[in-house]
Amino acid sequence: MAATLCGKLLPKKGWLPLTQSIRHGSKAVTRHRKPMHFLKQKLMAVTEYIPPKRGPPPGAYRPQTPVSQEQESPFTRMLKRDLAAVFQDCKMVAVVQNNGSTSEDMLMLKNRLHKHGIKVKFFPNEVKRSFIRGSIYSNMAPLFIGPTVLLVSEEPKAKEMLSTLRVSPQMVLLGACIDGTLLSVQGVANYARLSKLAVVQGELAGGLSAPASLTANLMRRHPAHLTALLRQYVEQQGKEA
Amino acid sequence: MMISLIKTVVGSVAALGAHGQQHGLLHSHFRVLTAGLKTLEIPPDYSDVVLPEKPKLKFLNKVPNFKKARKEMKKLWDIQGPAKAANTFTSGQYAIVAMGGGYLKWGHLEMIRLTISRKMDSRTTFARWRINAPYKPITRKGLGQRMGGGKGAIDHYVTPVRFGRLIVEVGGKVELGEVEHILIEVAKKLPFPAKVMSRESLEVFQKTQADMEANNQNPWTFKRIVEGNMLGIRKVLSPFDLKNHGRFTGKFYNPGRV
Repeated sequence: MAATLCGKLLPKKGWLPLTQSIRHGSKAVTRHRKPMHFLKQKLMAVTEYIPPKRGPPPGAYRPQTPVSQEQESPFTRMLKRDLAAVFQDCKMVAVVQNNGSTSEDMLMLKNRLHKHGIKVKFFPNEVKRSFIRGSIYSNMAPLFIGPTVLLVSEEPKAKEMLSTLRVSPQMVLLGACIDGTLLSVQGVANYARLSKLAVVQGELAGGLSAPASLTANLMRRHPAHLTALLRQYVEQQGKEA
Repeated sequence: MMISLIKTVVGSVAALGAHGQQHGLLHSHFRVLTAGLKTLEIPPDYSDVVLPEKPKLKFLNKVPNFKKARKEMKKLWDIQGPAKAANTFTSGQYAIVAMGGGYLKWGHLEMIRLTISRKMDSRTTFARWRINAPYKPITRKGLGQRMGGGKGAIDHYVTPVRFGRLIVEVGGKVELGEVEHILIEVAKKLPFPAKVMSRESLEVFQKTQADMEANNQNPWTFKRIVEGNMLGIRKVLSPFDLKNHGRFTGKFYNPGRV
């Protein structure tokens, strides 16, 4: 009937079925979760997501080539610049460990050291280590362990520094780099005991000019004295021979 | 009074300086600050955020105003499947996103409006609706009526919501942490599961879905089997499964499906 009726409406296009079944039962959109047809359940199980295989965890294998340092923050770079300036300007750089000094102690120490022109510098150990690694001071690396503080000064004033550190109980000297030479605690003590450069120079000059001054003295005395001395010298030479 | 205060402070400092470590009571035991590498996060910059004049949510009518109210068919397909409209951010930063389909009635909308307007700070935040006022008429027959006798009368109006649609957008000079608890409170009371998302988290959500589709190691996907009608499976599936690829069943969303 439908076909004959629609014969004129849809000529040669398609055909409508004689019977049209109306689906009944629950609709597609329900308030509850509709029980899935078993075949659909199977289909859902088969077509589940399978993630790609995970590689090894990030720290498992060490890379062949050493991984270059990743982003240094601008703050670290600034600190490194300051540290470089410190090493360039100052002849003496001492590493001191401070074990629980109060702010009052620190203030007193800074005051005492300031009178001798020694400054106290605080830098994080990481920054110190990374700076030292790339520079000529790489052997100072073992010093930077624990809560360390740098005592720097333009002129190497080891004696004053040692005397000040003796007074403050919490500060422990670990080592120092004076005039580009790495010194241990003993070395710093010996350095402090050395006399001043001018004095040493004077001694050296005196020592070099001693024979010349002796001969000058001899010449100034009476020639008889000189002949007597020469005769005695010849006798001695004769005795030895 | 101030001068005497200053004098005592100066006196104590001088005493400290003079006696050094002898004084026990006046000791300052603050730790010496050691050098550190800690850098703090820069707080967000809200200089380019413009707050609108009416920051609170607009009142939405219970009934749309047309002269002749027409009864409509159920059209439950407006709940089904993912949302095509209003599924991205426009003016706000954080939003409630529907994780399923459902109808929002006027009561829900009032609850949302009042809760958010009451709890948010209107000087720094603003909120916007991303859904229309109820426009779909729902009919109900009277109590105890038998089947037949025509369609029931219009009882109330609803707004259909699909999965992925934004309900309310919140923005302004705020971070997620300040607004999250308000939005979560609202999201829990909605008739469909809903989540609080920010712009970034919505992008992440969409990206993970795209990544899953790209790097799926299973050669058999729902889409492939259904489009090819392998094993005649379309006999037990609905035409919507062709479009939704098994991610949606009715109004519900199946997470983890590709």
